[in-house]
Parts: sequence; structure tokens; C-alpha cells
Amino acid sequence: MNTTGIPLKEPAVSVAAGDTEQLERAYIDASTRIPVLLFYTSAVAWLILGTVLAMLVSFGLHWPDLFGGMGLLTWGRLRPVHMNMMVYGWGSMAGMGTAVWLMARLCRTTLRFPLLLAAGGAFWNLGVLIGVCAILLGDSTGFQWLEFPRYVAVILFVAYTLMASWAVLMFRHRRGDQIYITQWFLLGAFLWFPWLYAAGQLMLFVVPLQGVLQAAITWWYANNLLFLWFGAIALGTAYYMIPKVIGRPVYSYHLATIGFWTYALFSSWTGMTRLVDGPFPAWMITASIAATILTMIPVATIGLNHHLTMQGYFPLLRYSPTLRFTVFGAMSYTVFSLIGLLISLRSVARYVDFTQVSIAYSHLGLYAFFTMTIFGSMYYIVPRLVGREWRSASLIKLHFWASAYGIGLMTLMLLAGGFLQGADMQNPALPFSESIQTVLPYLRGRSISGILLTVAHFIFAYHFGLMLLGLGRTSTVPTFLNPVEAETSGGH
Amino acid sequence: MNDEPKMSPRTGQGMDYGEQSDVQQVHAAVRREKREPRVGAEPLSIWLIAIYGLAIFFGGAYLGRFSGNFTSGGLDPMGSPPAPKKAVAGGPAGGEQVELSPHDRGKKVFAANCQTCHQANGLGVAGQYPPLAGSEFTTGGSRRPAMIVLKGLQGPVTVKGQQFGTAVMQPWDKTLTDQKIADVLTYERSEWGNNASPVTPEQIAALRKELASRTESFTEHDILAVPDEDLPGGSAPAGGAPPKPGEAAKPAAPPKP
Repeated sequence: MNTTGIPLKEPAVSVAAGDTEQLERAYIDASTRIPVLLFYTSAVAWLILGTVLAMLVSFGLHWPDLFGGMGLLTWGRLRPVHMNMMVYGWGSMAGMGTAVWLMARLCRTTLRFPLLLAAGGAFWNLGVLIGVCAILLGDSTGFQWLEFPRYVAVILFVAYTLMASWAVLMFRHRRGDQIYITQWFLLGAFLWFPWLYAAGQLMLFVVPLQGVLQAAITWWYANNLLFLWFGAIALGTAYYMIPKVIGRPVYSYHLATIGFWTYALFSSWTGMTRLVDGPFPAWMITASIAATILTMIPVATIGLNHHLTMQGYFPLLRYSPTLRFTVFGAMSYTVFSLIGLLISLRSVARYVDFTQVSIAYSHLGLYAFFTMTIFGSMYYIVPRLVGREWRSASLIKLHFWASAYGIGLMTLMLLAGGFLQGADMQNPALPFSESIQTVLPYLRGRSISGILLTVAHFIFAYHFGLMLLGLGRTSTVPTFLNPVEAETSGGH
Repeated sequence: MNDEPKMSPRTGQGMDYGEQSDVQQVHAAVRREKREPRVGAEPLSIWLIAIYGLAIFFGGAYLGRFSGNFTSGGLDPMGSPPAPKKAVAGGPAGGEQVELSPHDRGKKVFAANCQTCHQANGLGVAGQYPPLAGSEFTTGGSRRPAMIVLKGLQGPVTVKGQQFGTAVMQPWDKTLTDQKIADVLTYERSEWGNNASPVTPEQIAALRKELASRTESFTEHDILAVPDEDLPGGSAPAGGAPPKPGEAAKPAAPPKP
């Protein structure tokens, strides 16, 4: 399913050089099979759990007595559990799986001692499980995205070190003299995450900063996790998958370099924009907003690079699931950044602070951008690990459209509802409850989008489960979304 | 089971990890793969450079506009709040009047205008410029020193038993506002061990009106001819009633005869 123009007929056997290359890839894929499948499986499990919780959270907003009497399932506990499952369970595990596989492929080195990496993954999952239970039982720190208690943080950190050092070791033992763009992003992500996590833990819990600075640290952490961890993995993946599937070089090395460094430099500054008019020195917030304006440089550069790589190959979106998901993710990066710029400007931020708009923004980043890209990479990688092709094109199509419409609807609902809510909250004549009445229909709409996403995820999990059980198709041709006409296939 | 392969599955030639005999035979997905991605080397477009320029320009402008002067305590993005208020309240007399006491403001006026002759210690220069510290003119009633400052003094004068005659004191009524003259008199009358009543701008304004017709400087004889008394309307304690600089400064222009 990766290639499109290709193989309606049997692949031509053995040009000598090509054979070695193919053999090498086969060995590399085989070495990464156990850990990457473990990462993916646990990620999908967390995705399903997190989605179910997301539904409860969303319905709870307009149906408050849903779980009236149960302390365990109050909204204030479910929401952090949902977020932490998605961030540390689904996002980090799936991203780690894709990143490890890409790293092995691009470093052209087999993964040595894959079971140790798998042990790291298992340890991480244990940490997330304990953390989730701790939050449900009321042992939450109360800092967004850092709700896990300290003992869980220790487990996660050790597990992470075990996993990431493996990826870095692969980089150390790479073969070939080229370092591809994807490797920049992945190596960056692997080194940024421990820095972010350690700094967040240190400044909030070990040597806690006082007063409002805690809020600044929380936003700095959450924002940088979104950009430097999830965003970097997603961009690296897109830089691999797009040229790989269409079989054409990335448009420009220069654009890629500028894009990478400006992305790393500017996006890490943007965390304070959600604190506009808060009790912080004005320069702190303004510097963040200025950095957000400067992120238009990497957005334009990376977006253009991807676009020009794809130019002339857009018809392939009809066939390749990987390409469709990845391009959706890459385009969402641009949309996500533009909306991020809009809502960070002081005059707008004043309206949308404390409204549903920030929820829309983080879902755009974490779902439309990161998760869709990772779905694309999973559609590419899993067949290579299990030796089966995806069973059904219809299931993939259903997954794609449910996800795309789901996140689109959610973004629209939350943005529109959030702006109206903000306008109401700015109006001193209206009582606060009026602004809630205004936003209520949009919250119901969001729940509908949540149903779509739930359907998408259950379809994907089912499909993925079939693949794991070896029930995929045995075939030499990939699963295309639409039948490839024989005559057009040659041109792709 | 939703098995609907769009492509003919070709299970007959199928390749499957599960039934592998030879790794090379098996990896259909690997085999049909395109080569690992490479990177082209297209140059930067001029439009992209323009976008960079715009982003840097607007980012910098935003930073300059809303940074609250980069102070650690400045919560207001437009700048620290006291700054604009000062400029409004100070009026023509300058920015610092809101915060400083009359004595401190007078010190500044003294340093700028009087210190050259009368010296920072108020002792003057022996034989040339009379002292202010302990001078019977300065520390007596406020009418005499105010007359001297407004219209100047020429001819010989005896201060603290010493004879001065060579230098001329210039009139200040055209140079200094009532506010500044009141401040500098208040300063001189309470500095260097002097301990006399403060002077208000209103008093100076009244005296200025009274003396409006006089064009030449006073002599010692003229000064000693008026009684050694305070100007009417005084006796406000130093720094008591906040001065109204706007009002006081208005009638400052002396009508020439």
C-alpha cells in the first residue's frame, strides 16, 4: 500500500545491488519487530481507553449528573486521566514505535538486543498504568500534563532512558555518510523530551518554584511537549513518508535546514501565549507572542518543502493510505500554527483565554497534526512487521474519513463556541451563566465529533488487531484505498 | 470479517512471513519499496525570504510595542503606568514635580541658576558674591529675598557685616516661573542651617504683579526701605498643600510697562 505506481505485477526479481539493499531492510525490520509492535499495541490500547474517557469527559460537560455519585468518575479526575493517557500512553508510545523503526531504517543498522527496548516499553506502560490509577484515586499533582505523582515520574524517566538511549545508540552506530532530515528531528526529539520532563519535574516538585511561576512552567512544559516531542516526531515522520511513498527526493535541503533550526529555536519559546493578561511581566508573554510570529518562518519553510515535494503527485492521495494520512497531518501542521498565531495575539487572546478555543488548539496539534501523521506511518510500518497486508481498504477509508471529519467538526465547534463564549465573558452586563448557555450547543456538537473519532479508533484498533493476529491479507501488493487502473499506474 | 480486497489478492504467489523459507523470498513489502528518501538541493525562493523578513519585522515590532519596557514588575504591556501620568501632571515645569518636595525642587533650581555665584554651600565668594547661609536678607521675612530674586540687585550691599559691591545680581522674573522662584526661596531659607518660612508660588505671583511696573534692579536702599516681613498669604507649612503648578505658572508672564 505504500507504493502506488508500482506493483500490479510481480516485482522484478534481483538486480544484484537492489537485492542487498532489500535484504538489509528485511533484517532491520525483523530486528525491530518485537519492540515496535509492543509500542504500537500498547499505544492502540491506550488510544481506545483514552477515547472512551474522552467521550465521558465530553458528555459530562453537557450532562453533568452522568456519574453523579461516583467519586472515582468525577469530571475533575476523568479529564486529566484522558489527557495523560493520550499524551503518555497513546502519543508517546506510538511516536516512540515509529521513531525507533525510522531510526533503524535510516541508520541502516539492525536493532541490537530488541528485548531490552521492549522491556523499557513495558516499564513505561506500567508507569502510565500506575499513574492513571493514582489520578483516579485522587493522587494527582494538579499540574496539567504533569498530573502523575512523583513516584510515577521516576518510573517513566527510567523507562524513557532505557528506550531513548537505544535510539541514540543506533544513531551512534549508523552506516552511510548521509544523515537524513528525519534523523535530525528524531534525534532532537529523543534529547528534548528528557530535558523537558526533567525540567518540569524539577521546577514544580523537587525544587518547587513559588507562586505564579508554577503556571508559567506548566505552560512551558505542555507547549514544548507538543512542539519539541510530538511535533518533532510527526515532522520527522512526514519528511520520511512523503518522499518514500512517492519515490521522489525531498524538494530542498536548504529549506529543510532552515525549517529544522527555526522550528527548534522559535517554537520552544511560544508557551507563555496562553497567559496573556495574567500576573506576569509583560515582556515574558510578549516574547512568546513574538516567537509565535517568528514560527511562521518554519511553517512556511516546512510547508513549502512538503508541498513542492508532493507537487504533481497529489493524485496518489487517492490510493495510498500512508500518504493520505501523512499529508493530512502535514497540512494540519500549517493550520495548527496559523490558528496558534491568531489566538496568541493579545487582542484575540484576551477574548479566547479560558474558553474552549485552547482545547481546540491542543486537539489540532495533538490529533490533526501528530496523531494523523502517526496513523499514516503505522499503515506503512505494520505490514512490514507482521508480514501481512492490511485486510480491507474500506476499513482504512472509514477510519480516515471518520477521523478527518471528527477532528474537523471538533475544531470548528470548539473554535466557534469558544469565540462566542469569550465574547460573552467580556460583556460585563451578562451573568457568567449566560456564557455557559451560549457554548452549550457547541459542546453537544463536540460530543458528536467525539462519536466520529470513537468510531474511527475502534475501526483502526479492530483492523490493527487482525493484523497482529496474522489475519491480514497475504499478498505481494499493498492495500490501496481505490483500485489502481492499470494504465495510469505506470505514470505514478 | 470484512474481507474485500480491491486488488486481486494473488494468494497463489503470496508471500508471507508466517510461511517463510527464505528471507529474500518473503518480504514483498520491502521488495516493492522505493529507495530511501533523498534530498534535493533547490535554492531558496525569493518569496520565502520575503516571508522571513516580514515575520522578523512584525515579531520585532510586536516585541517593542508590547514588552512593557522589559521591566520585571511591568504587567502592563504598553509600559509602566506612572510614566504617562507624570508627563500630564508635571505641566510646563517638568516631570519631577509630582514626586519631589518643594525643598528638593528648589535645590535643583538653585544648582542650575544660583550656585555659580552663591556656591553650593551657600557661602558665596568673599568680597564678590554675598553668602545666603545665615544672611539676614535670606532668613528674615520672605518679602526682601523674593524682591531681590525677582528684580535683581545692584550697587554695594552689606551682608553679615561684610561689604560687597562689585557684582550685580540679575533679575530672574523673566527666566524663572513663580513655582521655581518659590521653590528656590524655600530651599535657600531652609538649607545650610537657615530656618525661615517656606514660600508659595501664589505669594510670588502676587509680588510679581505688585512689582510689574518696575524695570530696573533694586539697590540695597530700596530693599531696606520695605519692612522685613513675610509676603501675605504665606504661613503654609513646607510641603503642605500640594502646589497647583498649572494655575501658578499661568500668570507668570510679567507685563512690561
